Amino acid sequence: MNKQQKVAQLVIEQVAACGIELVASLPDNWLADVIGGIESDKRFRHVPVNREESAIGLCSGAFFGGKGSLALMGASGLMTVVYALTKINFTYEVPLLILITLRGAPGDHHKHHVSNGLYLLPVMDAISLPYMIIDRRDKIPDIKRAYEHSRTISRPVVAIMTRDVLRGEG
Amino acid sequence: MAIPFRDCFVFLQQRWEDELVVTSAGNSGQMWWDLTKNFDQVFYLDASMSMSTLFASGIAWSLPEAKVWAFMGDGAFCMNPGMLMVEQDLNLSNLTHIPVSNRVYGATSDIDLPNKQVNDYIAMAHSMGLERTYSFDSLDALQAGFDNAFRGNRDGHTFVVLELDPMLPQDARLEVPPMDGPELKFRFGRYVERTYGCNIFSHQI
Repeated sequence: MNKQQKVAQLVIEQVAACGIELVASLPDNWLADVIGGIESDKRFRHVPVNREESAIGLCSGAFFGGKGSLALMGASGLMTVVYALTKINFTYEVPLLILITLRGAPGDHHKHHVSNGLYLLPVMDAISLPYMIIDRRDKIPDIKRAYEHSRTISRPVVAIMTRDVLRGEG
Repeated sequence: MAIPFRDCFVFLQQRWEDELVVTSAGNSGQMWWDLTKNFDQVFYLDASMSMSTLFASGIAWSLPEAKVWAFMGDGAFCMNPGMLMVEQDLNLSNLTHIPVSNRVYGATSDIDLPNKQVNDYIAMAHSMGLERTYSFDSLDALQAGFDNAFRGNRDGHTFVVLELDPMLPQDARLEVPPMDGPELKFRFGRYVERTYGCNIFSHQI
């Protein structure tokens, strides 16, 4: 297991510790090991979805069967789900844990994520969507805290992972 | 051919038993509320744009002993037909996805859908591997085929296209279900807890 896979396993253990059974995902390169680990972990029903809004809908429905869930996506995906979050999770006060990447931050060399660097956090602030940035390895347990906080406030909470942490460098 | 909107929903409401129902914002929610005044066994999802059947899929997945009907306008369906890939992957035998096909954006002044004369929702479903597909364009056909489509042998996810006329002008002014989100959440959730013995609101931390 390389250092990225070790971090992915730490993330997965936090997800499992939440009691989460359903994980809906769309890929982000930084999350590939997390997604792969969840896919092969029998504690979860992993559902690859066609777009991020589908993950929000699916996970929100699972709440009404008493099942904990996680929506896993990249930063660009989060930028596409404002309608779904505000229409479903905010209107009906449905908790949900969302795990994303902090794309466009220093260290991300991809030009196509510049917009996420500029707008991702301001967009979340604009819709009062709580988030926790996991920028050190010892903050990975914040994933469970984010989940618990979402249950407490009956709204979504986003855990945002940085490149360095996911690569085992943070 | 197409079924008058209200006549179709009156028939479905008469045949409705213990299924949980999810409607989407607009026509199906307004009509179901008008006919049933039920907000325990029904979740009036105040979101359209394709959200209702994935939401219903989450319910159906988490409650395998429940049966779930999920309505969706074809305007919403066209915004995200790829949802069927996810539904087919899940292949939930307790989920019936019901596109209400009237070829217009019914909740927003009946503006035409693009390519409305040609779109074939059953063919789209088949292209994604769905096998339990049904389409009804007359009330007689729906009455004759209801049991097979809605209550037949369930090997997997079911997709039932209802070809309907647009709502009549007087029905388009029907009351929107008069409750805010949290009330609906708790009414529906408490009903699910009572009926299926699950714990939605207190177990998850």
